[in-house]
Amino acid sequence: MITESTSIAIGVEDLTVSYGPVPALLDVSLQIPAGKLVGVIGPNGSGKSTLIKSILGFVRPDVGTVRLFGQEVSDTRGKIAYVPQRGAVDWDFPITVREVAAMGRYGHRRWWQNLTREDYRLADEALAKVRMTEFSKRQIGQLSGGQQQRVFMARALAQDAEVLLLDEPFAGVDAATERAILDVLTDTKNKGKTLVVVHHDLATAAEYFDMLVLLKQRLFGFGEPRQILDPELLCEVYEGNLKVFAELTKTKNMAGKKD
Amino acid sequence: MDALYESLVNFQLDFGYLIKPLIVGTLVSIVCSVVGCFIVLRGMAFLADAIAHSMLAGVIGGYLIMKLLFGAEANLMGMLIGAILAGIVTVALIGFVTRVSRIKQDTAIGIMYTGLFAAGAFVVSLKSVGELIHIDIYHFIVGSVLAVSNAELWLIAIVTSFVLSVVMLFYRSLQITSFDPVMAASIGVPVLAVDYLLTACTSLVVVSGVRVAGVILVVALIITPAATAYLLSDRLSRMIVIAAIIGAVGYWLGFAAAIVFGASPGSAIVVVMTLLFLTALFAAPRYGLMADWIRRANAVPQEIKEDVLGEIWRSKDRKMQVKNLLAKVTSPNMRIRNAIKLLVRQEYLEQTGNSISLTDKGTKEASRLVRAHRLWETYLTKTGTPETEIHKKAHQLEHISDEATVDYLDDKLGHPLTDPHGSEIPEDFEKAATAREFRASLLRTGDRAEIYSIGANGAELGLKIGQQVVARDRSPDNIWHLTSDQKDYHLSHDEADSIMVRLLSSGPSA
Repeated sequence: MITESTSIAIGVEDLTVSYGPVPALLDVSLQIPAGKLVGVIGPNGSGKSTLIKSILGFVRPDVGTVRLFGQEVSDTRGKIAYVPQRGAVDWDFPITVREVAAMGRYGHRRWWQNLTREDYRLADEALAKVRMTEFSKRQIGQLSGGQQQRVFMARALAQDAEVLLLDEPFAGVDAATERAILDVLTDTKNKGKTLVVVHHDLATAAEYFDMLVLLKQRLFGFGEPRQILDPELLCEVYEGNLKVFAELTKTKNMAGKKD
Repeated sequence: MDALYESLVNFQLDFGYLIKPLIVGTLVSIVCSVVGCFIVLRGMAFLADAIAHSMLAGVIGGYLIMKLLFGAEANLMGMLIGAILAGIVTVALIGFVTRVSRIKQDTAIGIMYTGLFAAGAFVVSLKSVGELIHIDIYHFIVGSVLAVSNAELWLIAIVTSFVLSVVMLFYRSLQITSFDPVMAASIGVPVLAVDYLLTACTSLVVVSGVRVAGVILVVALIITPAATAYLLSDRLSRMIVIAAIIGAVGYWLGFAAAIVFGASPGSAIVVVMTLLFLTALFAAPRYGLMADWIRRANAVPQEIKEDVLGEIWRSKDRKMQVKNLLAKVTSPNMRIRNAIKLLVRQEYLEQTGNSISLTDKGTKEASRLVRAHRLWETYLTKTGTPETEIHKKAHQLEHISDEATVDYLDDKLGHPLTDPHGSEIPEDFEKAATAREFRASLLRTGDRAEIYSIGANGAELGLKIGQQVVARDRSPDNIWHLTSDQKDYHLSHDEADSIMVRLLSSGPSA
């Protein structure tokens, strides 16, 4: 029992979250094993970001619990790092790239303590990993979309957390940046960390992730991409959205090539 | 010695009354500006205004309670605590109204602060209450820094040091909750508590600020220096320091102006701070309007770069004197010179003395642009655009020169060789290059190529993969003619499109 609970990084049980009369998440239960790169897919407004925020402990569930490595989320602060959606950040905020990366170290110091030299070293190291060192002194609004995304990746890496949650890290970045981010994600996974990534592109979902969570308020599927990217299942969730089918055929062709 | 002493005493007698307001005002301006930074960044300016107005109710409440319970007249502590409570109640009420109803936040703020202000004004205007307490509503509204008492000076000093200590101690918590509350929560920062801490600090600085500038203008003390600093800095720590300096300097200048002109200090200070803000808005090094204009003036628009390249390409020998180029391209000369400088730096152009020529890279880019221009001209002629407008329109449209668009036009027009004026349309250098596969329809006269794939029609026509062909002149009815081993092949547009070739050598062979 103990070994089982420790190999499960994120345990979500009977989770229901609502912002009004309509639930954002309804009765979601899933056990995400440690050391996996997990994608969360689903149509717009399907509760993907809410799931992330519940795991972070930022929204209070109506019913249910979220456990990290068997502990309630409130006790596991610092074990979790978060990369927000690009639209959720105030890019005019007076803060430099290096300061954002160093923010990843805040959780390791008490509120009255200053950051140490070691903290800044780790922040710089994280920036180097995402190849943003030369932009350290820039204000974050003066970066391209892909660079902005990488700064927040660096912050998450500097946090040195066991679990990383990323909200649409691939939205609005060019192909090269998408590759670079994916490399960092895979690299982080190989170090034994667990990553949960909100993703909107079904065509690449199979290629990028070890496991997929298919969400539309309720949990429609959780497992290997091959299981989840089932046309019938997707049809049910996306209600015959044409664009999805176009993407799906692409995926099918790709899967065919792989075999 | 006596003379010096005398003059000091005289100075004290003449101007001594200014010392207290100067100290009080400086402290208040600094603390307001510092807290203002967080208010500006969080977009809470209206909330500060709301707290200022609702304060009246709190001050009167505090006064009344102290008077009725302890018989104390105008007890400062009581009024201060009342004001802070009023601030927090306002914030809580605004939050409550927005949460439980469909009323938006700005409306909720507007209702609550006017409501509380009116409640205070109503109570104080009651005859029975008016006999009990003595509050000068006028001073409350416009401020009365010249009339501060020693007790108030102490109170303001304590408030200032308290708030500044809070900001220093909780700097990182305040920064991260302002910037990314979700992450703040995830690392265990109590976001709601920090929010209320900031609200409490805001109430405190508003209460002190009202003494200086009055209810109506106190918001300016808080947000104007902070907003000015926001335009001048890229990091929060620096923004706070700059805001504090601007707040203090603005206060001194405004206060001096008020004494010299005999004006009301509150309004003079706010006028000066607003002027400082406008100066920054205009002249700030990075975020100011002037910096923006300079940047824009120095930026070389893509269009001018393309015009320069195209003009040189069209000229004889692809070489031009700078002054001829300035005459040909219709843009301000300074911008054209900037464009030339940039293109030289990017290795599209070579400059020797006054003559500029295209490099290989520049030739390719220019021919791509001319190709786009002439294809657009051909297209416009075909769509029946009036002759007089064609050149002008094509000149605008040539800047739409992305590969997909140009390919589409080229194919739709049947891969024309010349434009309506008979000028040659440059071939697609990018695609029709050696060692790349492309459609046979892109072949020009004299090109030697190897068939790479024959598509659906190739076999019927008798073409084989690996066969070498030479392109001959295309006939006017748009039939492609290829020769191979003395044999001629005639291809329609679709057939030429379906066959892929690889270029061996281009142009008429010797």
